[in-house]
Amino acid sequence: MVVEEIRVPLRDVRRAIKEFYNPSEWHFITVNGVDLGGKVELKWFFTKYGEKEHFKVVTTEASYDDEIPTITYLIPSAWISEWELADLFGLNVEGAKKGLFLDPESPQAPLRRG
Amino acid sequence: MGKRITVPFGSQHVALPEPVRFVFQTENEKIVDVEVDVGYVHRGIEKACATKFKYMQVGYVVARVCGLCSISHTLGYVTAVERLMGVEVPKRALYLRLLVSELDRIHSHLLAMGHTAEVAGYENLFMQTFRHRELVMEMLELLTGNRVQFDYACIGGVNRDLTSDVEKVLRGKLKVLEEKAQWLKDVYENDFSLNLRWKGIGAVTEEMAKEMNVVGPPARAVGLKTDVRAEFDYLPFKEVGYRMVVLKGGSIYERNLVRALEILNSIEMCWNILDGLPEGDIKVPVKGLPEGEMFVRIEAPRGELFYYIRGSKKLILDRVRIRVPTFANIPVMKELFIGMDYADVPATVISFDPCLSCTAR
Repeated sequence: MVVEEIRVPLRDVRRAIKEFYNPSEWHFITVNGVDLGGKVELKWFFTKYGEKEHFKVVTTEASYDDEIPTITYLIPSAWISEWELADLFGLNVEGAKKGLFLDPESPQAPLRRG
Repeated sequence: MGKRITVPFGSQHVALPEPVRFVFQTENEKIVDVEVDVGYVHRGIEKACATKFKYMQVGYVVARVCGLCSISHTLGYVTAVERLMGVEVPKRALYLRLLVSELDRIHSHLLAMGHTAEVAGYENLFMQTFRHRELVMEMLELLTGNRVQFDYACIGGVNRDLTSDVEKVLRGKLKVLEEKAQWLKDVYENDFSLNLRWKGIGAVTEEMAKEMNVVGPPARAVGLKTDVRAEFDYLPFKEVGYRMVVLKGGSIYERNLVRALEILNSIEMCWNILDGLPEGDIKVPVKGLPEGEMFVRIEAPRGELFYYIRGSKKLILDRVRIRVPTFANIPVMKELFIGMDYADVPATVISFDPCLSCTAR
């Protein structure tokens, strides 16, 4: 498995993705969050069409209060992953609406630890 | 410009096997805007997997994400754990996993095709399709012990071996299924009414599929050569005659035809597995605790299924992430509706074979 990891500060995420992303070449899988206590590690996963087990992962960390930049300007389908982050981690993702996965009455940000 | 009318579709609708809600804004029956809500069956499975269940139990929990593709969910999870922990799975177990995985694909595809026939008003074909799907359900029950929640794969192998008695019955049923699947493929491909109703309706373009990162049969129906079975080595597909099915057109008709052709290829693979099933163990013992992170891709019947796990040498994992194919295909569905006639919505939605139980988790 080939995994190219690109670690960038939060403000550079969009620029880092823009540098390599081409929809004919790369398939966007999802963005994943892992709660690290007070902050969240975020990873944007991509795989290359036509190649075996070739991935590119853009990694950053964000505090609970940071505004997460949207990548929907580059990848329109990413909105659903971003809205999920907003719901399940309670993050402030640029342009994301809350309530796609959770009812207003249900516990908020369930994937935060502690 | 006509008067704008709001038309809700779901959360409960006769065409929907599961709850999803689209709210359409229409003008003269043409859709001009749409909102979507997918969260009616959120059960907090990812949260439960990282708080309540030990890592060796999680495979059985994720099997409950979805009734139809529970085999793929377990397979995704156990493959991620095995890769993280460096577990070498016996060849016989890999072949048995492949067998149930392809049977799962067949019955899921038949379900999708049947539902599409139903929303086209072709109830007889719906019933015929589901009747033949029952053969696969019986085969899966013989192999795994269950009709729905299979719990077949486990970390290190599979839970049940294939006996010679079961193999004999499977071969008999597979022969009948092959004949019926060929007939179904001919009907879905050549029926005059279905051609008229589906060809060119709900069509995704290749450019749109790439931009919206479409996965599974809807991607292959538009000419996008993507199938995780060819892109990720999780089972020995090449050894048993796997072929990628790719068509052009991208409409409801092609999506169903891709499924029909994949069923035939899956049946061929099942024959090859039964003919060439290696001897040996079906499971190896697994020791230790998962440490680090791993992610895998699996080709579930509806498309790419992604599993991410992270552990820190504890019995309970720090994170289990599941990205299901319907989750990936919701954005293109939303895009596709703009400009479409409202009357084409039910068939278009069903032709994507959406699974909301998976999407909401």
